Parts: sequence; C-alpha cells; structure tokens
Amino acid sequence: MKTKFMLQVLCVGMIAAGVFSTRTVRAQDSPKRIEVTAKRFTYEPADITVKKGEPVVLVIKSADVAHGLRFRELDLNAKIDKGGTAELKFTPDKTGDFVGHCSVFCGSGHGEMTLTLHVVN
Amino acid sequence: MRLPIATVAAVCVVGLAGCKAAPPSKMESKTIIFAKHHFFVGNKKQKNPLPYTHENWEDGKEAFSHYCVACHGMDGQNTGVPFIDHVSPPIPSLASEDVQSYTDGQLKWILDNGIRPSGMPGSKGILSDDELWSIVVFLRHLPPAGSQGVPDMYTH
Repeated sequence: MKTKFMLQVLCVGMIAAGVFSTRTVRAQDSPKRIEVTAKRFTYEPADITVKKGEPVVLVIKSADVAHGLRFRELDLNAKIDKGGTAELKFTPDKTGDFVGHCSVFCGSGHGEMTLTLHVVN
Repeated sequence: MRLPIATVAAVCVVGLAGCKAAPPSKMESKTIIFAKHHFFVGNKKQKNPLPYTHENWEDGKEAFSHYCVACHGMDGQNTGVPFIDHVSPPIPSLASEDVQSYTDGQLKWILDNGIRPSGMPGSKGILSDDELWSIVVFLRHLPPAGSQGVPDMYTH
C-alpha cells in the first residue's frame, strides 16, 4: 500500500516536472518579436524598449531601398535587401541606451538614420 | 561717367581668366595650407574613438567607397580619377604630408564640414559619426597607390 502511494506521488511529481519544464522551454523559445520598418531616412518605431536577459527578434522590413541596422556596442548588424525583410535575433545582456545606425548607404540622410534601443532591467 | 567699352571688355577677359581652373602658384598653395592647418580647420584635439583594427579599417574603406572615391580614387591617392590634373585647387593625395599632418580630430572636422572653396563637401548627416571616424582610420592606413584599381564609375 505504502509502495503504491509512493509510486503515485512519484508519477504525479514527474508529470508536474514535465509540464513545468515544457513551459520553461516554451518561454525560452519564444522571443519577443518587434516589427520595424526602415525607409529613407528613418526607422519606425525609432525607439524600442526591451528587457535585459529577454530574447528579442527585430523583424526589419525595408519599405524602399536596401538598408541595414547596426549596433556597434552590441556587435549586431543586419542588412535588409530592397523591399525585403531581415531578422536580428539577440538577448540583451547589459542595460543602457544603444543607438543603431543604418549600415547600408542609402542616400543623403543615411548618416542620421538611427534607432535607439533602451535596455532596462 | 561711362566706362569705355575697351575697359569693360578688359575687365571681363581678366575675370574669365580668373575662373579658369589653372594650378595655384606655390606661394598661394603654401599660404592656404598654412592657414588651413593653423586657423581654419578646427577640432585639433579630439581623439578618434575607434582604434585601428582590421574591422574598423574595413568599415572605413567601405564608407569611403560610397562617394569619396569619385575624387580621391579607391586608394585615396587619386588613382583612376580622370580629371585629377584639371582641378584647381588640386585634389591632394590623402597620403601626402599636407593631409597626414592634420590631427585625427582635424580630419574628422574636414569630413564633417568640407573645405571651401576646394570643392571638398561636408559629410555630416550623409554618413554617421561612426562611419566618419572609421574613414579616419582608413586614411591613416591607406593601401598602396594603385592597389585598389579604378573606381567603378570610371570603368564603363
């Protein structure tokens, strides 16, 4: 009787552990997706706030010519073809404000095409 | 009082001759170079925030290739620029003492603001600060003259 009870407790424990571990894995596997439109000479939105340690995917779509998005301090760079889409996947590991620049020359306002990433706790 | 037609014509001829893209005299060049280095080009003390690394050099080379090459060539030494002997004031080789004796901060100032009336345009806003500083890195480590070929725009 005691053995049967122990087995039942063990089974319930294993099932519970399986459920919770699955949830954990799912949480880790589903990064926050943020859509960004790049067009001469702006990003929309131009300010994004994310949490430190939380995986993020910036889905960047070009509405005109080829563009890029580079965060030198975070060692991140994406290049987007004319009219195309690119993804920038990362997990911010430090807080602060980081300014990303267009990394593909796109014309007279290229140097002022920026996106600010705010990483908070 | 009416000016004689001959006087007006003479003034016009002298004026037009003054517009001709003839090389400046040695005295004119020396004076201007001295004035630029010591009075006109500011930002003498600013340091380049980008160290020399191969990656920063490559970034500078790429940024330089967007349009600087039209006048300076791929190597910064005017290689393949067809009008190089027909511009006044002349376009200096960026490897020359005249250019290399500027500080990094002064080179950045020139890239930002350009130099009037040389035809050198300012690039602030057209290129980002990052890109402009990486060009300074490239300028300090120019490839050998002729090693980069001719700018695409002059090959067809």
